[in-house]
Order: sequence, then C-alpha cells, then structure tokens
Amino acid sequence: MISREEVLQLAELARLKVADAEVAGLQKDISNILEYVGQISQVSVEKEKATPFNYNVMREDVPRAVGDTMGGKEEALRAAFPKKENNYNIVRKIIQKDE
Amino acid sequence: MSDLNKLSITEAGKKLAAGEITAVDLARACLAEIEKRNKDLNAYLEVFTDVLEQAKKADERRAAGESHPLLGIPLAVKDNILIEGRRAGAASKILENYVATYDATVITKLKSAGAVFLGRTNMDEFALGGSTENSAFGVTKNPHDESRVAGGTSGGSAAAVAAHMCLGALGSDTGGSVRNPASFCGVVGLKPTYGAVSRSGLIAAVSSFDQIGPITKTIEDAELLFNTIRGRDTLDSTSIDENLYPKQNVKKVIGFPAEMNIDRESFDIGGVGQKFKETLFSLKEKGYQLKSIDLPSLKPALAAYYIINFAEVSTNLSRFDGVRYGLSLKGENLFDDYAKSRGEGFGPESRRRIMLGTYVLSAGYYDAYYGKATAARAQLRKEFEEAFKSVDVILTPTMPTPAWLIGEKSDPLSAYLADTFTVPANLTGNPAISVPAGTVDGLPVGIQLTAAHGDESALFTAGKELQ
Repeated sequence: MISREEVLQLAELARLKVADAEVAGLQKDISNILEYVGQISQVSVEKEKATPFNYNVMREDVPRAVGDTMGGKEEALRAAFPKKENNYNIVRKIIQKDE
Repeated sequence: MSDLNKLSITEAGKKLAAGEITAVDLARACLAEIEKRNKDLNAYLEVFTDVLEQAKKADERRAAGESHPLLGIPLAVKDNILIEGRRAGAASKILENYVATYDATVITKLKSAGAVFLGRTNMDEFALGGSTENSAFGVTKNPHDESRVAGGTSGGSAAAVAAHMCLGALGSDTGGSVRNPASFCGVVGLKPTYGAVSRSGLIAAVSSFDQIGPITKTIEDAELLFNTIRGRDTLDSTSIDENLYPKQNVKKVIGFPAEMNIDRESFDIGGVGQKFKETLFSLKEKGYQLKSIDLPSLKPALAAYYIINFAEVSTNLSRFDGVRYGLSLKGENLFDDYAKSRGEGFGPESRRRIMLGTYVLSAGYYDAYYGKATAARAQLRKEFEEAFKSVDVILTPTMPTPAWLIGEKSDPLSAYLADTFTVPANLTGNPAISVPAGTVDGLPVGIQLTAAHGDESALFTAGKELQ
C-alpha cells in the first residue's frame, strides 16, 4: 500500500489540498487501482518504433483586425475573471520572498 | 396532437416538412415532459429560458424556405459542450459560474441546421465515471427504474432521450460515455471514429480518446445527427477528412472476440450474455456469417485505458487553477490559492484521477505505466485493423450488466471494471455503437457493434438489422 506521505506528496505535486480525513481512503483506493493497472507490466514493448499517424495539421495564420486581437471575445473573457479591477484580472504576486 | 415528444427525429422532421406540426409544438411537448419528470430524474442541469423563441425562429426559417431535417428539432446538450453565452460546467463546482465564450463546432453546425437547444444535461464531473454519480449536482436516475443509475458519463443526455424529454441529444465518449448510458437507458449511442467529429468547444477529459457522439431513439436519427456534426475542422487539429480511411468492402461477416466464447456459461452475468448470443444468432439468420476472432490485446486493454486516462486527465485538468475563470479561493500564499481552489472545486473522483495521473507520469514510473500502456494500445490497434480485413463489425455486449443500483459501486475500481467492453474502441479510435437489445430482468441492455476506422456506415447497416 502506498504510504500517507506518498499521498500527500502526490497531492502537493498535483496542486490539490487534501483533507486529513481523506488520506486513508486515498491510500487504499490508489493502491487498489495501481495494483490492478500494474498488470500492464506483462506487456512487452516492441523495439521497433511505430510510424507516427500524423499529417500536417497546422492551419493558416490569419491576421486579426487591429484592436480586435480577441476576435470580439474580449468582454466575455473579462467577465469570467474571478477578480477584476479597472478591466484587469487581479492575480497574486508570483515572485514572493523566501521565508 | 399529443405525445409529439415521443417522436423520433426522423418522424418529427417529416411532420415538420409536411407542415403538420411546428417547431413550437415540438418544443412545448418536450418542455411539458421536462416539467413532469426532470425533478425526479435530474437529467437536465438547466433548461434554457429561450426554448420557445429558438423554436419560433426555426419555424420562421422554414417559412422562409429553409429545409434541413434538423430544422426545429429540440435537442439536449451535455454540460461539457460549449454554447456561446450559456453556462457550461462539466457538472463541476470548479466551473459553476462559467459562461461559454464561443460555440463548439458541433453547436455551430447544429445552429446552422436549425436545431433547438432545450438545455444542458447532467454528467459525471469532467466525464470521469460511468454512472453520473460523480456529478457535483446529484445523480441522474434511470427513467426505467429510478432506484438505478442512468449510466454515464453522458447519463443526463441518455435519460433525457429515454424519457422523451428531448428528441435526441449530444454526449461525449471517452471510454464508453455515450454507449454505456445508451445501454442502461435503452437508446442508441454512437461513438464516431476518433477525429470524425470536431472536439473544438468540448471540455477536454482525455484528448486522445474523447469524441462527441449522438444519443438517439433510432439508428436513423444517430446517422442523421452524425452526418450533420461530422467533418474536418481547422479548430481541431485531430479532426480528420471523411476520406482519410480507405472504403471497406461489405463482407456480411460479423466477428466476435474468441475470448467471449459463446458457449461459456460464466459469461452469463445478469443475463446479458444470453442477449448477446441471441443477437449474434439473429444476425446469422439474416444471412450474416459469424466469425470468432483473436484479439489477445483485449486482456491488458482496460489497464492500458485507465493508465492513459489518468495521465491525460491530470494534464488536462491542470488548466483549472482559478486564475482566469472558474472557482477561485484565497489561501495563505500562491500555492495555497491553487491547492484550495482545486481541492474544493474538484470532486473526489477527479481528485483521485489527477493524483493517479501524477503518479503514473512521475519520473521512474513513466516507462513502467505510460510507456507500457501506449505499447499495448498500439498493439490492440493493429489487431483491430487485422480483424476488419475479414469482418464488417465486431459484436460484444455494451455493458456486462444492466444498470446498477445507485450507490452500489462505491469502490472506484469496481466501477472501472464495468467499462471492459467499451474502452477498446477509444484505445484504437474505431467507431462503435450501442443498440438496444431488449431487457434483462425488466431493465434495458445494449449490444455494441464496432467497425473499421471511418466505417460508421457498417454500424448503421448492421445496427438496423437489430432494430
């Protein structure tokens, strides 16, 4: 079974807050599921690389009108901002002092 | 005229064209049924307030000379498909107040055809599940037995079609999410060839599996909706040209996996095995040859499916961070803002899969899980391609059992195991359809047909034999 610390480490990597009461359940569920999908180890991986199933999917660049870089969606996109001030999206300072 | 909501799309389209009924009549009939049943079934998360206006516009377009078979047809849309100016939330708290800023390509196509949108339907949060029990807004109940699930993840769409609260619906299928609820609710559900339908405007779950597909009362209706929404789209780089895959010759041969030995007693789970055998032999009577085919890579398919699912889910859901849209909670610092918004915004199953995806993609585990899973996937695809050289379709049950009781599968792994028949088509990209095959213990069950890439027509042809 994966440990309590491993669950907390995964949660941190995944940027998820996990309640204390949830950890034991997650240990059990994640372990059961990993044990099941672990049967994949029996599959042999061929050395030969498969031919990629791709073709050119790039679309043509089409310049947008001056002052309309958002294709008329600017207001709608702004309306979705969780917190805004003077038409700006307010976010927390990214670079913070080390303690 | 009463019971207009019980018509199929094709029937209603003919009556509209003949001037016997109007789009407003149809919309009213569906709204009346929604009023009656949605409170109990919880199929719709929202019923749009402008349905009658949309219907009136469709009638006006017809009066002005337009004539698409979907003009004025009322449809339901899964909550992960964007309609500009309307809420779309993938049944998640993290997107509770999100308003779509553009139309999904399928919606653009349906608007141009003149379809009427009734509302958005319930689903498992972010299309992760198989019973609509993972919705943040309550489970959708099965119209045939309200103590049971409607299936998932497109449970709301399938229940709405089965309960005649719409004439047809759109769902999305990542590992069976259109076919599973279609089977549980006794309707038709099509997962098109990967890339056949544009996914622009579909909230992504597992990008290498996701496909939008129709849920309808008849195969003709599924065909009509599919033909309307299909096509290459510059907004979805994975969408394909109709002629990408070579045309298949009709062989009149039905394949079934050798692993599903039709004499094996142990297969008779809940009587679905019996229905499968009956269906197989009814096709034989109609002149089809039956052929047992070897697909050894079906064995690790479910494990491979879930590894890839976790990996892509953890990647796709990383965009929900509460910065530009969606739920945004304040913590003690920047990291805390993210962790709190995501921790409280995502439901338990989404959080579990994000963590599992983080695990299988971690350095040191990547080759053992993701690398092996993609190898198994490539091998299965080869085996399917080989099989379709000698058969038109492969027949299996859609689900191993009829709909289960609400709350019956509380252990996540036991729910995953129910996806065993549906996930192969998502791994390989083949088109697959679930067709109603009668009832087992009074509950509907579906039979699944899978065809070669690009050969949806084989599904419609063989499927119509079963109707």
